[in-house]
Amino acid sequence: MIENYILMHKGGQEEYNDNVFVNYSSALTMAILYIPAESDFSVADEASVSALVQGSSKLRFRDLSESIYPILTNLKNYMLIRIDDKHIEIERHGKVYAYIVQNGELKMLPNGMTSLEDEDRVICCTWEFLRCLNDIAILSDAVVSESAEEWMDNMVCRISDKNRLSEGNLTAVTMIVRSGD
Amino acid sequence: MILKKRTMETRFADLPTLQSSVVAALVLFVITTIAFIWLVVVYFKRKRAGSPDDSNLYIDCAYFCEIGKRPSQQDSVYISDLTDYRKYGITALVADGMGGMEYGGEISEKVADFVEGMCPMSFFATEQNADELRKLSNQLYDQYKLSGGSTLAMVHITGNFMNYYSVGDSDIILIREGKPTILNPRQNYMALLIKSLCRNNKQTVTAYSNPKARSLIDFMGNQNPRVIYTKKPIRIFDGDKIIVSSDGLTDAVALRNIHHYLKDSASATALELKRAVASRKRPKQDNYTAIVFTVKRSFM
Repeated sequence: MIENYILMHKGGQEEYNDNVFVNYSSALTMAILYIPAESDFSVADEASVSALVQGSSKLRFRDLSESIYPILTNLKNYMLIRIDDKHIEIERHGKVYAYIVQNGELKMLPNGMTSLEDEDRVICCTWEFLRCLNDIAILSDAVVSESAEEWMDNMVCRISDKNRLSEGNLTAVTMIVRSGD
Repeated sequence: MILKKRTMETRFADLPTLQSSVVAALVLFVITTIAFIWLVVVYFKRKRAGSPDDSNLYIDCAYFCEIGKRPSQQDSVYISDLTDYRKYGITALVADGMGGMEYGGEISEKVADFVEGMCPMSFFATEQNADELRKLSNQLYDQYKLSGGSTLAMVHITGNFMNYYSVGDSDIILIREGKPTILNPRQNYMALLIKSLCRNNKQTVTAYSNPKARSLIDFMGNQNPRVIYTKKPIRIFDGDKIIVSSDGLTDAVALRNIHHYLKDSASATALELKRAVASRKRPKQDNYTAIVFTVKRSFM
């Protein structure tokens, strides 16, 4: 099982423009879109991505990626994720990042597949979320947190200390592998 | 004449020996130079990237515990014996008695004494260690009935890894490449306000103007406090500096300015920080206490 918590906060903006689409099946499949306010990304395009993610349970990750790519090709900043107890597979485009806590360090996840173990902790987030944090802060909050939600709350406190959550949209997903559950 | 001839003969006879000596010296010089360059390259590569087997780190440690402008010292410090560093690592604690409460100092002393009794503590049994601290807090609650309390900020360093434990709002600061980061989440009312505002998709300016924002929601002496602890240890590297301090330090010296006072050795850094707080001449300066660690690599 993958415990997860999704933050979708509008920050100081009028609206929340980013988006996160999730498919909860045996593996968790996700698309995180980082959409700056000036972007011309349309609602119709978002609906198409949503439909693809929702129907992705039986799709191979590569097929999902190839289906979504033509829709998101102008967006430039997005990430596709598929994660289960054993592996995480990501495809990163632009300013959306994924990190894993391993061996007492925070490491950026490369595109492709990475094996996971019980209690591994992963964060995927946009640049707007990441820019107010540093690796040590993310790592420290990860290793003391009992849950994915608590990890997120601790990081939000740090961002709040910097900008009172008054700047761009904040989008992030924290995940903890719970193989025993 | 005979003598001269003999000398000449001797010179001619020594020439091959002399040449081979020079060659041998040259070879030795080249080998030594290559070995030296290799060592320097390896050292700087490790220093930059951190070795995957960075077990030969050593810790330099110093502390200060000053009364400030308060009538009594309510901070307590404990640093474990360094003689068994290789086996058990080092444990260091700062407990800050809550100001304005009758038994703050007494409770912080009891926390330090209890931690001393726990040492040497298991590096890997963090959950059990945290549970022991929570039990202590319950005992203090039974004894003092909330007429006092103390924070707890404790680190346990072994080899190139660190665990930490925290209750309240004392600081555990890790400085890497000159950039300070407070590691432990603060257990105060502000954290709750921020969480609530964030859930409602709001900005958090009001949380910072709330007069009760800095009130602690958890402390040693409270019943069943949440003891924050690392479920997995944090890796430390050559050049890292760690400061465990009461808020008397970080209220006087802003986190962003701490890098001005960092020196190569722990004792020099501690001295600079202590002077920095004293030089502020704050009329209500709280007790200020800090334990400073510098992490260095040993070639031995």
